[in-house]
Amino acid sequence: MSKQYEIPVGAQHISLLEPLHFKFTTENEKIISTAANVYYVHRGIEQACCSKFKFRQVSFVVGRVCGLCSISHTTAYSQVAEKLLNLEIPRRAKYLRMLVIELDRIHSHLLCLIHVSENAGFEALFMKTMQYREFSMELLEAICGNRIQYDFSIVGGVARDLKLPVAHEVVGRLKRFKPELDELMDIFMHNWTLSLKNKGSGKITRETAMRLNVVGPFARAAGLAIDVRNETEDLLPWKEVGFEMITGEDGDVHARNIVRLKEIYVSINIIENIINGLPESELVTETKAFPDGEAVVRLEAPRGELFYYAKGNKTQVLERLKIKAPTFSNIAGMVEGFTGNEYGSVPAIIASYDPCLSCTAR
Amino acid sequence: MNKTNGMKTFLKALGNLVKKPVTVKYPFEQTYIPDDYRGLIEFDESLCIWCRRCEMVCPPGAIVFSQDMEGKHTYHYNRAVCIYCTECVRTCPKEGAIYQTAQPASCALKAENINNGWNALFEEALKSRAAYAAEKKRLAAEKAQAAKKDSALTIKQQGKCTNSP
Amino acid sequence: MKKILTSPENLKADIRQFYNETQHHFIVMNAVEMGEQMEIQWFFCDYAHPAEMTCFYMQIPPGTLIPTITGVVSSAWVAEAELSDLMNVDIENTEKGFVLEPDSEAGPLRKKK
Repeated sequence: MSKQYEIPVGAQHISLLEPLHFKFTTENEKIISTAANVYYVHRGIEQACCSKFKFRQVSFVVGRVCGLCSISHTTAYSQVAEKLLNLEIPRRAKYLRMLVIELDRIHSHLLCLIHVSENAGFEALFMKTMQYREFSMELLEAICGNRIQYDFSIVGGVARDLKLPVAHEVVGRLKRFKPELDELMDIFMHNWTLSLKNKGSGKITRETAMRLNVVGPFARAAGLAIDVRNETEDLLPWKEVGFEMITGEDGDVHARNIVRLKEIYVSINIIENIINGLPESELVTETKAFPDGEAVVRLEAPRGELFYYAKGNKTQVLERLKIKAPTFSNIAGMVEGFTGNEYGSVPAIIASYDPCLSCTAR
Repeated sequence: MNKTNGMKTFLKALGNLVKKPVTVKYPFEQTYIPDDYRGLIEFDESLCIWCRRCEMVCPPGAIVFSQDMEGKHTYHYNRAVCIYCTECVRTCPKEGAIYQTAQPASCALKAENINNGWNALFEEALKSRAAYAAEKKRLAAEKAQAAKKDSALTIKQQGKCTNSP
Repeated sequence: MKKILTSPENLKADIRQFYNETQHHFIVMNAVEMGEQMEIQWFFCDYAHPAEMTCFYMQIPPGTLIPTITGVVSSAWVAEAELSDLMNVDIENTEKGFVLEPDSEAGPLRKKK
């Protein structure tokens, strides 16, 4: 038996963007086992939502759980609160929510690809993708009025309307983005240096993904067709606006990149369909009721399935709110995915998991 | 990599030398701000009906009303605590009393003591309102007492009147 | 959502009978305080369209030892570790200290009496 070494990575590390700690047991550069610690940023948001804030204010609080998927959190909370209030929201509000979720998915997926290319040591691609991503941030700012914290969904509908010049701008910018995305697809598919780091590393099989209940692009790249947009349509009509399931086969870093890039094409398609067929209606359904009973909601955030549980007691303040972020489900799979890889490819693998620790620890 | 492809890359690299940078030189150039940017919240005192709904809905507590002993309200707003969610504008029953501009907020400075100063002001404002309410209650009670005394006096007088032949 | 009542004794058998790796996925565990009792919930969802959710729940007094389901659902250890730290519930084979620092307050998400 050769000598084993324990190498810690994190919570502060040059290749980590989030406070995350892994302890690798290696044997000649090869990882044998991994232990993870993900909770460095517990902020007690669930407790604040159930004690300090009124239920209408909570949709702004949960937006602060995560900066990247803030719209997914606010929308999921708004939906669960609407279930507690027995509220049907206007059609236009549903479509606008989907529009912003998909634009958010584009920028989040591109950010993940940026991290993968940077952590694999490809700085030029990092800069290029960052440049191409800027359009989505500006569009989100034009639609929601804010660059990061959108505060777009509120209990009962959406806060702002999509104005006609902004809609034209969205369509025009997406059209200009498509050739850029083709270029990125070509680089991520065929670039030889990038494939050295990406192909075959961080591999996870479909069976393992199933056994460990992995969600999101991480699971889809391994061939496990799990997407909330494919499974429920009672809250947001995803199939109507042209959702398609994208799955990969290999389950390695390369497959994850390709799944993300292909999902951006689907998102662009969805956004164009929404803008072309946006129904006219009110934006908000008003109610004076208080939340009562318990309800659950699932929503597909950029990183996978987001789950909200809420319980009301006919007062302004909720009894209990439980948030399950996508990365939380992926921890078990993340730990498994390292086994058998070289220690040198760890940064690229971590980035390809797209972990969001502030979501997980809340 | 073949020869033509290498040539293409070389030409592209040469072209990049004379291309404009994609970044904005921020303090000297203005970055992108959309037309309906969520900027500072403005308040129009002449239209306000002092219902305090904006204060009640504000998630971070960036709006507070204080009250002096004559019952006159004063509006306080903290741009550094505000999250620009527009919830106050949406809930306002009187259109135009509180509204959002596209003006971005300026940076908070240390000299402004924006956190602790605001917390103290918030407490003060709540206290001032409680003091006014207590004063009002005391006055009302005094008035009621006086009215009671008055009515008792009249009854007494009436009783005197009826008793005397 | 289907809600199925279970008990600390029957939990493992119930989950083993219900859970099929290729059909369901485990979402998360949750605890809700209901006066004196505490309700512990296990959420599952299937891969079909339309997906149906199943919730196993039990009502126990705080301090009862809850059996672990990691023998059936291997990824459940994350949810169990989180719940035992944040809600201060005792779960079999789960040590406290995964989620919070050792010197932090026990069960920060519990209601303050």
